[in-house]
Amino acid sequence: MESPANAWKQWLAENGPRLLLFARGWSNSRADAEDLVQEAILRMWHHQAEKGASPPDLPLVFSTIRFCGLNHHRSESRRRKREESVIYLNDFQDVWLDPVLEEDEEAIILREAVQNLSQKLREVVVMKFWGGLTFLQISETLAISPNTAASRYRYALEQLAHELRRVKKDRHASA
Amino acid sequence: MQAPDSIETILSRLMPPALSQGGQFEIDAMIDELAGPEREVVVPISAGKWMVRAVTGGGIAAAVAGLLALVPMSDGFPRSEAVKVAASVPEFMLVSESDRVESMTDEGWQEDLNGSAMHALRLVAVEENHVKDTESGMVMMISETREEILYSPINAF
Repeated sequence: MESPANAWKQWLAENGPRLLLFARGWSNSRADAEDLVQEAILRMWHHQAEKGASPPDLPLVFSTIRFCGLNHHRSESRRRKREESVIYLNDFQDVWLDPVLEEDEEAIILREAVQNLSQKLREVVVMKFWGGLTFLQISETLAISPNTAASRYRYALEQLAHELRRVKKDRHASA
Repeated sequence: MQAPDSIETILSRLMPPALSQGGQFEIDAMIDELAGPEREVVVPISAGKWMVRAVTGGGIAAAVAGLLALVPMSDGFPRSEAVKVAASVPEFMLVSESDRVESMTDEGWQEDLNGSAMHALRLVAVEENHVKDTESGMVMMISETREEILYSPINAF
Protein backbone atom coordinates (compact mmCIF):
# COMPACT_ATOMS: atom_id res chain seq x y z
CA MET A 1 0.00 0.00 0.00
CA GLU A 2 1.29 3.47 -0.90
CA SER A 3 2.51 5.56 2.03
CA PRO A 4 0.65 8.83 2.75
CA ALA A 5 3.82 10.83 2.11
CA ASN A 6 4.22 9.32 -1.36
CA ALA A 7 0.54 9.82 -2.16
CA TRP A 8 0.75 13.49 -1.16
CA LYS A 9 3.92 14.08 -3.14
CA GLN A 10 2.38 12.52 -6.22
CA TRP A 11 -0.73 14.64 -5.70
CA LEU A 12 1.44 17.74 -5.35
CA ALA A 13 3.40 16.94 -8.50
CA GLU A 14 0.10 16.71 -10.37
CA ASN A 15 -1.64 19.74 -8.88
CA GLY A 16 1.24 22.00 -7.81
CA PRO A 17 1.17 24.26 -10.90
CA ARG A 18 -2.57 24.98 -10.70
CA LEU A 19 -2.34 25.65 -6.96
CA LEU A 20 0.60 27.96 -7.54
CA LEU A 21 -1.29 29.84 -10.24
CA PHE A 22 -4.28 30.31 -7.95
CA ALA A 23 -2.01 31.40 -5.10
CA ARG A 24 -0.47 34.04 -7.38
CA GLY A 25 -3.73 35.93 -7.18
CA TRP A 26 -3.27 36.21 -3.43
CA SER A 27 0.39 37.12 -3.31
CA ASN A 28 2.79 39.57 -4.85
CA SER A 29 5.57 37.32 -5.94
CA ARG A 30 6.17 33.75 -6.96
CA ALA A 31 8.04 33.08 -3.70
CA ASP A 32 5.12 34.35 -1.63
CA ALA A 33 2.73 32.23 -3.68
CA GLU A 34 4.81 29.13 -2.99
CA ASP A 35 4.74 29.95 0.73
CA LEU A 36 0.98 30.19 0.47
CA VAL A 37 0.74 26.80 -1.23
CA GLN A 38 2.96 25.31 1.45
CA GLU A 39 0.85 26.78 4.24
CA ALA A 40 -2.32 25.47 2.63
CA ILE A 41 -0.84 21.99 2.28
CA LEU A 42 0.19 22.02 5.94
CA ARG A 43 -3.37 22.93 6.96
CA MET A 44 -4.76 20.30 4.62
CA TRP A 45 -2.48 17.64 6.06
CA HIS A 46 -3.87 18.18 9.55
CA HIS A 47 -7.39 18.41 8.15
CA GLN A 48 -7.05 15.14 6.26
CA ALA A 49 -5.42 13.30 9.18
CA GLU A 50 -8.87 12.35 10.45
CA LYS A 51 -9.89 11.17 6.98
CA GLY A 52 -7.29 8.51 6.39
CA ALA A 53 -4.49 10.98 5.58
CA SER A 54 -5.38 10.89 1.88
CA PRO A 55 -4.65 13.93 -0.32
CA PRO A 56 -7.48 16.49 -0.28
CA ASP A 57 -10.03 17.43 -2.92
CA LEU A 58 -8.90 20.30 -5.11
CA PRO A 59 -11.81 22.70 -4.35
CA LEU A 60 -11.01 22.47 -0.65
CA VAL A 61 -7.38 23.37 -1.29
CA PHE A 62 -8.39 26.38 -3.39
CA SER A 63 -10.58 27.51 -0.50
CA THR A 64 -7.72 27.05 1.94
CA ILE A 65 -5.29 29.00 -0.24
CA ARG A 66 -7.86 31.76 -0.46
CA PHE A 67 -8.31 31.74 3.31
CA CYS A 68 -4.55 31.82 3.90
CA GLY A 69 -4.20 34.60 1.34
CA LEU A 70 -6.86 36.68 3.06
CA ASN A 71 -5.14 36.21 6.40
CA HIS A 72 -1.83 37.29 4.97
CA HIS A 73 -3.28 40.40 3.42
CA ARG A 74 -4.73 41.37 6.75
CA SER A 75 -1.48 41.04 8.62
CA GLU A 76 0.94 43.88 9.08
CA SER A 77 3.95 41.79 8.06
CA ARG A 78 2.27 40.93 4.79
CA ARG A 79 1.70 44.59 4.11
CA ARG A 80 5.40 45.28 4.60
CA LYS A 81 6.36 42.40 2.33
CA ARG A 82 3.96 43.69 -0.29
CA GLU A 83 5.66 47.06 -0.29
CA GLU A 84 9.07 45.43 -0.51
CA SER A 85 8.09 43.15 -3.35
CA VAL A 86 7.10 45.85 -5.84
CA ILE A 87 10.27 44.98 -7.70
CA TYR A 88 8.86 41.52 -8.44
CA LEU A 89 5.89 43.05 -10.26
CA ASN A 90 8.26 44.75 -12.66
CA ASP A 91 10.34 41.64 -13.20
CA PHE A 92 9.48 40.23 -16.62
CA GLN A 93 10.56 36.78 -15.48
CA ASP A 94 7.94 36.69 -12.75
CA VAL A 95 4.99 35.59 -14.86
CA TRP A 96 1.92 33.65 -13.86
CA LEU A 97 1.54 31.63 -17.04
CA ASP A 98 3.90 30.32 -19.67
CA PRO A 99 2.93 30.22 -23.36
CA VAL A 100 3.16 26.73 -24.82
CA LEU A 101 4.45 28.12 -28.11
CA GLU A 102 7.26 30.61 -28.46
CA GLU A 103 6.40 34.11 -29.65
CA ASP A 104 2.67 33.46 -29.35
CA GLU A 105 1.58 37.09 -29.43
CA GLU A 106 -2.08 36.48 -28.61
CA ALA A 107 -1.24 34.17 -25.70
CA ILE A 108 1.19 36.70 -24.25
CA ILE A 109 -1.40 39.47 -24.51
CA LEU A 110 -3.95 37.30 -22.74
CA ARG A 111 -1.42 36.36 -20.06
CA GLU A 112 -1.13 40.02 -19.13
CA ALA A 113 -4.88 40.45 -19.39
CA VAL A 114 -5.57 37.53 -17.04
CA GLN A 115 -3.23 39.00 -14.46
CA ASN A 116 -5.01 42.34 -14.74
CA LEU A 117 -8.52 40.95 -14.31
CA SER A 118 -10.26 41.86 -11.09
CA GLN A 119 -9.76 39.39 -8.27
CA LYS A 120 -13.36 38.12 -8.48
CA LEU A 121 -13.16 37.36 -12.17
CA ARG A 122 -9.63 36.02 -12.15
CA GLU A 123 -10.36 33.49 -9.41
CA VAL A 124 -13.21 32.00 -11.42
CA VAL A 125 -11.17 31.85 -14.63
CA VAL A 126 -8.20 30.23 -12.91
CA MET A 127 -10.31 27.65 -11.08
CA LYS A 128 -12.41 26.87 -14.14
CA PHE A 129 -9.78 26.89 -16.83
CA TRP A 130 -6.56 25.72 -15.21
CA GLY A 131 -8.02 24.19 -12.04
CA GLY A 132 -10.54 22.09 -13.97
CA LEU A 133 -13.30 22.77 -11.44
CA THR A 134 -16.98 22.79 -12.34
CA PHE A 135 -19.11 25.87 -11.77
CA LEU A 136 -20.73 24.02 -8.86
CA GLN A 137 -17.34 23.39 -7.23
CA ILE A 138 -16.30 27.00 -7.84
CA SER A 139 -19.55 28.23 -6.31
CA GLU A 140 -18.87 26.15 -3.19
CA THR A 141 -15.31 27.40 -2.97
CA LEU A 142 -16.28 31.07 -3.25
CA ALA A 143 -19.62 30.79 -1.42
CA ILE A 144 -21.55 32.12 -4.43
CA SER A 145 -24.25 30.57 -6.60
CA PRO A 146 -23.28 28.42 -9.61
CA ASN A 147 -25.03 30.95 -11.86
CA THR A 148 -22.90 33.76 -10.48
CA ALA A 149 -19.78 31.68 -11.04
CA ALA A 150 -20.81 31.03 -14.66
CA SER A 151 -21.66 34.70 -15.19
CA ARG A 152 -18.31 35.83 -13.85
CA TYR A 153 -16.57 33.38 -16.17
CA ARG A 154 -18.42 34.64 -19.24
CA TYR A 155 -17.82 38.23 -18.24
CA ALA A 156 -14.12 37.54 -17.73
CA LEU A 157 -13.85 35.99 -21.21
CA GLU A 158 -15.56 39.04 -22.70
CA GLN A 159 -13.10 41.32 -20.94
CA LEU A 160 -10.17 39.24 -22.16
CA ALA A 161 -11.50 39.34 -25.72
CA HIS A 162 -11.94 43.10 -25.48
CA GLU A 163 -8.40 43.56 -24.17
CA LEU A 164 -6.99 41.34 -26.92
CA ARG A 165 -8.74 43.40 -29.61
CA ARG A 166 -7.61 46.65 -28.05
CA VAL A 167 -3.94 45.69 -27.78
CA LYS A 168 -3.84 44.28 -31.32
CA LYS A 169 -5.50 47.38 -32.69
CA ASP A 170 -2.97 49.61 -30.89
CA ARG A 171 -0.08 47.58 -32.25
CA HIS A 172 -1.41 47.72 -35.80
CA ALA A 173 -1.87 51.46 -35.50
CA SER A 174 1.69 52.01 -34.29
CA ALA A 175 3.21 49.58 -36.84
CA MET B 1 -15.39 40.43 -33.03
CA GLN B 2 -13.42 37.87 -31.04
CA ALA B 3 -15.79 35.08 -29.97
CA PRO B 4 -15.46 33.77 -26.38
CA ASP B 5 -14.61 30.25 -27.52
CA SER B 6 -11.62 31.46 -29.49
CA ILE B 7 -10.43 33.21 -26.34
CA GLU B 8 -10.55 29.81 -24.60
CA THR B 9 -8.49 28.37 -27.42
CA ILE B 10 -5.83 31.00 -26.88
CA LEU B 11 -5.99 30.50 -23.10
CA SER B 12 -5.33 26.80 -23.64
CA ARG B 13 -1.95 27.81 -25.07
CA LEU B 14 -1.00 29.17 -21.66
CA MET B 15 0.13 26.81 -18.90
CA PRO B 16 0.84 27.50 -15.24
CA PRO B 17 4.51 26.98 -14.43
CA ALA B 18 5.52 24.28 -11.98
CA LEU B 19 6.62 25.02 -8.44
CA SER B 20 10.24 26.04 -8.26
CA GLN B 21 12.72 23.31 -7.39
CA GLY B 22 13.33 24.91 -4.00
CA GLY B 23 9.63 25.29 -3.28
CA GLN B 24 8.88 21.73 -4.30
CA PHE B 25 11.74 20.46 -2.14
CA GLU B 26 10.56 22.42 0.89
CA ILE B 27 7.03 21.09 0.62
CA ASP B 28 8.23 17.52 0.03
CA ALA B 29 10.47 17.82 3.09
CA MET B 30 7.55 19.15 5.10
CA ILE B 31 5.40 16.20 4.00
CA ASP B 32 8.17 13.82 5.03
CA GLU B 33 8.39 15.52 8.39
CA LEU B 34 4.63 15.40 8.89
CA ALA B 35 4.52 11.75 7.89
CA GLY B 36 7.23 10.87 10.41
CA PRO B 37 10.51 9.06 9.90
CA GLU B 38 10.57 6.35 7.28
CA ARG B 39 12.20 3.07 8.09
CA GLU B 40 15.14 2.06 5.98
CA VAL B 41 14.31 -0.76 3.64
CA VAL B 42 16.78 -3.56 3.12
CA VAL B 43 16.13 -5.68 0.08
CA PRO B 44 18.10 -8.89 -0.17
CA ILE B 45 19.33 -9.85 -3.60
CA SER B 46 18.98 -13.52 -2.87
CA ALA B 47 16.07 -14.57 -0.73
CA GLY B 48 17.77 -17.88 0.03
CA LYS B 49 20.59 -16.19 1.87
CA TRP B 50 18.13 -14.68 4.29
CA MET B 51 17.24 -18.17 5.36
CA VAL B 52 20.90 -18.81 6.09
CA ARG B 53 21.03 -15.61 8.14
CA ALA B 54 17.88 -16.54 9.97
CA VAL B 55 19.29 -19.79 11.24
CA THR B 56 22.70 -18.47 12.20
CA GLY B 57 21.45 -16.71 15.33
CA GLY B 58 20.38 -19.69 17.37
CA GLY B 59 21.21 -22.48 15.01
CA ILE B 60 24.89 -22.17 14.31
CA ALA B 61 25.63 -25.32 16.25
CA ALA B 62 22.94 -27.17 14.37
CA ALA B 63 24.37 -25.95 11.08
CA VAL B 64 27.86 -27.10 12.08
CA ALA B 65 26.52 -30.41 13.18
CA GLY B 66 24.75 -30.80 9.88
CA LEU B 67 27.97 -30.01 8.07
CA LEU B 68 29.96 -32.48 10.09
CA ALA B 69 27.28 -35.07 9.68
CA LEU B 70 28.00 -35.11 5.98
CA VAL B 71 31.76 -35.53 6.35
CA PRO B 72 31.80 -38.88 8.16
CA MET B 73 29.36 -40.29 5.65
CA SER B 74 31.71 -39.48 2.83
CA ASP B 75 34.45 -41.23 4.75
CA GLY B 76 32.45 -44.39 4.89
CA PHE B 77 30.93 -44.06 8.36
CA PRO B 78 27.62 -45.76 8.76
CA ARG B 79 24.53 -43.56 8.83
CA SER B 80 23.87 -44.29 12.46
CA GLU B 81 27.23 -42.73 13.33
CA ALA B 82 26.33 -39.63 11.46
CA VAL B 83 23.10 -39.33 13.38
CA LYS B 84 25.07 -39.78 16.54
CA VAL B 85 27.33 -36.84 15.64
CA ALA B 86 24.33 -34.72 14.83
CA ALA B 87 22.84 -35.58 18.16
CA SER B 88 25.96 -34.39 19.93
CA VAL B 89 25.34 -30.76 18.92
CA PRO B 90 25.79 -29.35 22.45
CA GLU B 91 29.49 -30.30 22.27
CA PHE B 92 30.08 -27.37 19.92
CA MET B 93 30.45 -23.98 21.53
CA LEU B 94 30.10 -20.64 19.85
CA VAL B 95 33.33 -18.78 20.56
CA SER B 96 32.79 -15.57 18.67
CA GLU B 97 30.60 -14.04 16.01
CA SER B 98 31.07 -11.03 13.83
CA ASP B 99 29.27 -9.29 10.99
CA ARG B 100 31.23 -6.77 8.98
CA VAL B 101 30.81 -4.77 5.80
CA GLU B 102 33.56 -5.66 3.39
CA SER B 103 32.80 -3.27 0.57
CA MET B 104 30.24 -0.63 -0.30
CA THR B 105 29.30 0.76 -3.70
CA ASP B 106 27.17 3.83 -4.30
CA GLU B 107 24.47 2.84 -6.79
CA GLY B 108 23.06 6.37 -7.04
CA TRP B 109 19.34 7.14 -7.12
CA GLN B 110 16.91 4.37 -7.85
CA GLU B 111 13.17 3.87 -7.70
CA ASP B 112 11.71 1.70 -4.98
CA LEU B 113 8.59 -0.44 -5.41
CA ASN B 114 6.39 2.63 -4.81
CA GLY B 115 8.16 4.61 -7.50
CA SER B 116 9.83 6.92 -4.98
CA ALA B 117 13.37 8.04 -5.56
CA MET B 118 15.74 6.37 -3.12
CA HIS B 119 19.46 6.45 -2.59
CA ALA B 120 20.85 2.93 -3.13
CA LEU B 121 24.01 1.49 -1.57
CA ARG B 122 25.19 -1.97 -2.59
CA LEU B 123 27.18 -3.60 0.15
CA VAL B 124 28.99 -6.88 0.61
CA ALA B 125 28.84 -8.11 4.20
CA VAL B 126 30.64 -11.06 5.74
CA GLU B 127 29.29 -12.88 8.74
CA GLU B 128 31.84 -15.03 10.58
CA ASN B 129 31.30 -17.40 13.46
CA HIS B 130 33.98 -19.32 15.34
CA VAL B 131 32.80 -22.59 16.81
CA LYS B 132 34.85 -24.83 19.13
CA ASP B 133 34.51 -28.56 19.32
CA THR B 134 34.75 -29.07 23.08
CA GLU B 135 35.81 -32.67 22.70
CA SER B 136 38.75 -32.17 20.31
CA GLY B 137 39.43 -28.51 21.09
CA MET B 138 39.35 -27.72 17.37
CA VAL B 139 38.02 -24.29 16.42
CA MET B 140 36.22 -23.93 13.14
CA MET B 141 35.26 -20.79 11.32
CA ILE B 142 31.97 -20.59 9.48
CA SER B 143 31.86 -17.71 7.07
CA GLU B 144 29.03 -16.43 4.93
CA THR B 145 29.29 -13.62 2.40
CA ARG B 146 26.12 -11.89 1.37
CA GLU B 147 25.23 -8.96 -0.86
CA GLU B 148 22.56 -6.42 0.03
CA ILE B 149 21.13 -3.23 -1.40
CA LEU B 150 20.34 -0.61 1.19
CA TYR B 151 17.73 1.96 0.18
CA SER B 152 17.36 5.20 2.07
CA PRO B 153 15.00 8.10 1.29
CA ILE B 154 16.82 10.88 -0.51
CA ASN B 155 14.86 13.67 1.13
CA ALA B 156 14.92 12.55 4.73
CA PHE B 157 17.95 14.24 6.20
